[in-house]
Amino acid sequence: MESGYVHMPEPVIASVGASPLGHTDLPGRDLFSLALAEAFDELPAPADLVEAMYVGNQSESYEHQIMYGTLLAEWAGLRHVPAERVEGCAAAGALALRHAVKDVRNGEHEAVLACGVEKMTAAGTSGATDALSAAFDRAIEQRSGVTAPSQYALLAQRYLHETDATERDLAEIAVKNHANAANNPRAQFPEEIDVATVLESDPVAPPLKLFDCAPVGDGAAAVLVTTPDLAADLDRPQVRVAGSGASANSIAVAERDMTEIAGARVAAERAYEEAGIDAGAVDIVEVHDAFTVCEALLAEAAGFAPAGTGYQSYLPPAERATGWTDVQLSPSGGLKARGHPIGATGLLQALEAYEQLTGTAGDRTITDAETALLLNEGGVADAVTVSHVLTTAEAR
Amino acid sequence: MTDSSLDATDPRTLPGFFAALADGTLLGGVCADCEQVLLPPRPACYACGSRAVTVEPQSREGRIFSYTAVHTPPPAFAADAPYTVAVVELADGGRLLGRVDADYADVSIGDSVELTVREPTAPEREAALDYETDWPVHVFEQQ
Ligand SMILES: [Zn+2]
Repeated sequence: MESGYVHMPEPVIASVGASPLGHTDLPGRDLFSLALAEAFDELPAPADLVEAMYVGNQSESYEHQIMYGTLLAEWAGLRHVPAERVEGCAAAGALALRHAVKDVRNGEHEAVLACGVEKMTAAGTSGATDALSAAFDRAIEQRSGVTAPSQYALLAQRYLHETDATERDLAEIAVKNHANAANNPRAQFPEEIDVATVLESDPVAPPLKLFDCAPVGDGAAAVLVTTPDLAADLDRPQVRVAGSGASANSIAVAERDMTEIAGARVAAERAYEEAGIDAGAVDIVEVHDAFTVCEALLAEAAGFAPAGTGYQSYLPPAERATGWTDVQLSPSGGLKARGHPIGATGLLQALEAYEQLTGTAGDRTITDAETALLLNEGGVADAVTVSHVLTTAEAR
Repeated sequence: MTDSSLDATDPRTLPGFFAALADGTLLGGVCADCEQVLLPPRPACYACGSRAVTVEPQSREGRIFSYTAVHTPPPAFAADAPYTVAVVELADGGRLLGRVDADYADVSIGDSVELTVREPTAPEREAALDYETDWPVHVFEQQ
């Protein structure tokens, strides 16, 4: 060991798991049990490893249940560990991951479970609409009757006004993500679609249509964060968590620059800085495409695309505007097609990166990928953004 | 201004802001250090972190900055759908989201609008929290 200073272990992801995604007949705790079973399939029991636990969860509206830290720790057989629910709307999952990463990095624990769960279908479509609207400023936004799609439509309308992007370009982003999901056995919608399907789908909040929107769905995910030494002792493939960044921005959309997603930029840059890389080093990014326009905005905010060209994310790298990197966006199918069970989404992004970087992503493997960025957002766009840089063990 | 004196009559609180709005006055916070307009007013400037925030009446006239229509409303607003909402850039520099009293097809970015204030409807009162019941609702009308 080095002398003269305290050695800070670099956290790694040592295992991942997920429940089925979409409309399921299982409550949240049972979805969690499935995710946990997959993550611990080749490991000792959670009680023999896990020292603390964080649960990403958006809302008690769906199952009238808070205390998810306590409940899921109990269902995992983890007696008397510190366990808590983390809330940041759709960024809750990556916030849970970030807490686990920090606990391992600062030496407090050797193994921490980051998990997320949402049972969105329990309350029906109107229940989900209502639960999600709680993420907006109550005084002005909620009382004006805005919804998640209409908030993002305000961003999309402005983006189409300021750039060369068209509704067809946004549709192409959805088409690309469905094509990616067709190779993902975990995806909620593993079907290819065409542009006409998107453009002719029902208006939800113009210019956004039904197929611009990520679906409502159930799901849980579990990610085990450990020290490198523990992962090696367990004989597990490791993925380094080389950087983590987070940033909040104004809760009200009206008060932000609506086409330059500054909070996401800050979160991404903090993660790059910790990892000692720049955007050009990223091979794969899982972006928070809750609505198609988000992918365009985030491609720009994370430094992959020059301002006003993020909408070209659906094109092969060689056909994108000058200044774009070669990054591949959302090989999982993204929120749009892989699925978006709110509190679990940030961890499903980590799961995808783990499988990509450990060579277990099957037909959707991005060849030679060594570095992945995760961008998980909550509220509208960058009301809160959490980003992580993951790399292969070899990239050390 | 010191924060320790904040009470429900202070326009840097929501009750104070909405009481003034009910009388037709739109109050904004204005940062003494960077001139940022904050709607509604609050004790700190989000642009620069200053706590030197004064409260000043804001123009009710502005232009549509972005807009959409809500086709899938929250349960409390189901009877109104589809309805138009917009982010409006006000003449004094602040931006505010609100309903627009016009069909989506009749609205464009850059349109002139004026903020008006009405009492909440019966369904809106029903959806309100106890302390919100009498808060007015603002609506933008096309000029
Ligand atoms: Zn200021």
